[in-house]
Amino acid sequence: MFASNIARRACRTNRPFRHCRFNHNQPTPNQNQESSRATHFGFQTVPEEQKESLVKNVFDSVASSYDLMNDAMSLGIHRLWKDELVSLLKPGARGPQKCIDVAGGTGDIALRILDHARERYADRETAVDVVDINGEMLREGFKRFKKTMYHNTPQIAFQEANAQALPTERFPDNTYDLYTIAFGIRNCTSIPDVLKEAHRVLKPGGTFACLEFSRVNNPLLSTVYDQYSFSIIPLLGTILAGDRASYQYLVESIRNFPPQPEFAQMIVDAGFTTGGMFEGKGGAWRDLTFGVAAIHTGVKV
Amino acid sequence: MSRPQLLQLAIPLVQTYGFTRAALSHSVFRLPKPHSEQLSDSAVTALFGEGNDARKTLIDAWLEDARQHMRASPSPTIKAILTQRLKQNEPVLQFLPEAFALLASPTNGLPPLDPLPALKHAGSVADEACHIVGEHNIGLAWYSRRATLGAVYAAAELHQLNSPSTVYDFLESLLDSSGKVESALQDAGTFAGYIGRSWAGIIKSRGPF
Repeated sequence: MFASNIARRACRTNRPFRHCRFNHNQPTPNQNQESSRATHFGFQTVPEEQKESLVKNVFDSVASSYDLMNDAMSLGIHRLWKDELVSLLKPGARGPQKCIDVAGGTGDIALRILDHARERYADRETAVDVVDINGEMLREGFKRFKKTMYHNTPQIAFQEANAQALPTERFPDNTYDLYTIAFGIRNCTSIPDVLKEAHRVLKPGGTFACLEFSRVNNPLLSTVYDQYSFSIIPLLGTILAGDRASYQYLVESIRNFPPQPEFAQMIVDAGFTTGGMFEGKGGAWRDLTFGVAAIHTGVKV
Repeated sequence: MSRPQLLQLAIPLVQTYGFTRAALSHSVFRLPKPHSEQLSDSAVTALFGEGNDARKTLIDAWLEDARQHMRASPSPTIKAILTQRLKQNEPVLQFLPEAFALLASPTNGLPPLDPLPALKHAGSVADEACHIVGEHNIGLAWYSRRATLGAVYAAAELHQLNSPSTVYDFLESLLDSSGKVESALQDAGTFAGYIGRSWAGIIKSRGPF
């Protein structure tokens, strides 16, 4: 049922029907070369080219109720996680910073960065570029920022772009002091490409920070967490947003994301310098709520 | 460029900036391709830890580096090696009391003071000294030797913090007296063994009572 829902939604795009057979005597077109590179979409395996459009469809349908669903799913804790990320980074502490928030459509992190700089350090020059591949999510973010004092100021800009291939005219090399990506990197097809682009656009001395769902290492808590994820969250998706399949995808994509040490190694492989390969103070990552979420940091040296 | 390499670059800066986050953020000026500005606060936090944790990382790295330099002593005797280690303290003497206080202060309120880092520091200096000299001790002697040397070194370092000029004579007198204390303790141990065995013999010969 899940696969057919996704397939139905995927067919909304204007792709020619070249893979359909109108007559059973016709040979099936050769599908092998297209599905030679497969990736995961939740627990499904799909060709790489399709993942982007499938993820786009998921976020198109959840965009309008995204914040409500986050509150319901994490019982409001996602706000604490995002607060923890921004207070760890302390934007604006040593002067105005140019920040880029990727996959930050609804503007949660961008707003927190600007508020932190303004309230703690009286800094009104720090600027954030919000980048997202999904126009609907950016529209939601733009609407939210209209209610704040940053609308129509140079402090905020919205740009639709792919995190794996940021356009070089708009995002030149060595531009940003701070790169954040919160709850977005697991939806990208190729994580190493995202990390490479992050390394490219950061200045030397710039910080990379990624907030993402991660592995709970405690076996008892992880059982409870699994039960909660696979039973309650899709149910909430049905009730609150009328869309079970998208929230099923979200839960499955969390399970497929690499565990904390592996992701930290991927960050090092992309050219960043991180803390030691352990959790906690001075480490490459820190767990939040026993590992349900984790903040990975790195510096471009 | 990795984190340990950045720490190595920050160590010589301790003389100028002390054991502070400033020393860590200025380390990028000593890279082969130096940066144009110092590391931001969030970068130092990401690499070394928040607040005082970054300073503790730097202090630990500096102590490790000083232990490495113990090998460069002119002669392989305990006295020369410990003198060499005390010499490492001289450029940063004014920052050391605060550094040790920081190591002893707790991260979360309780316990009020943490004695373990000081004991670990004295113990590791003593261990390194014994290793360089090539002493072979077995059993309890391994622990007692390191305990004595650790205590001697700790006393000498405390003396150095107050009166740096007389420390080398003080170290010499401590090592002499500790040698005497060790042999006195050993004699007392042997004597106590004799007494114990005699009593055991007397009790056995009294028969069942």
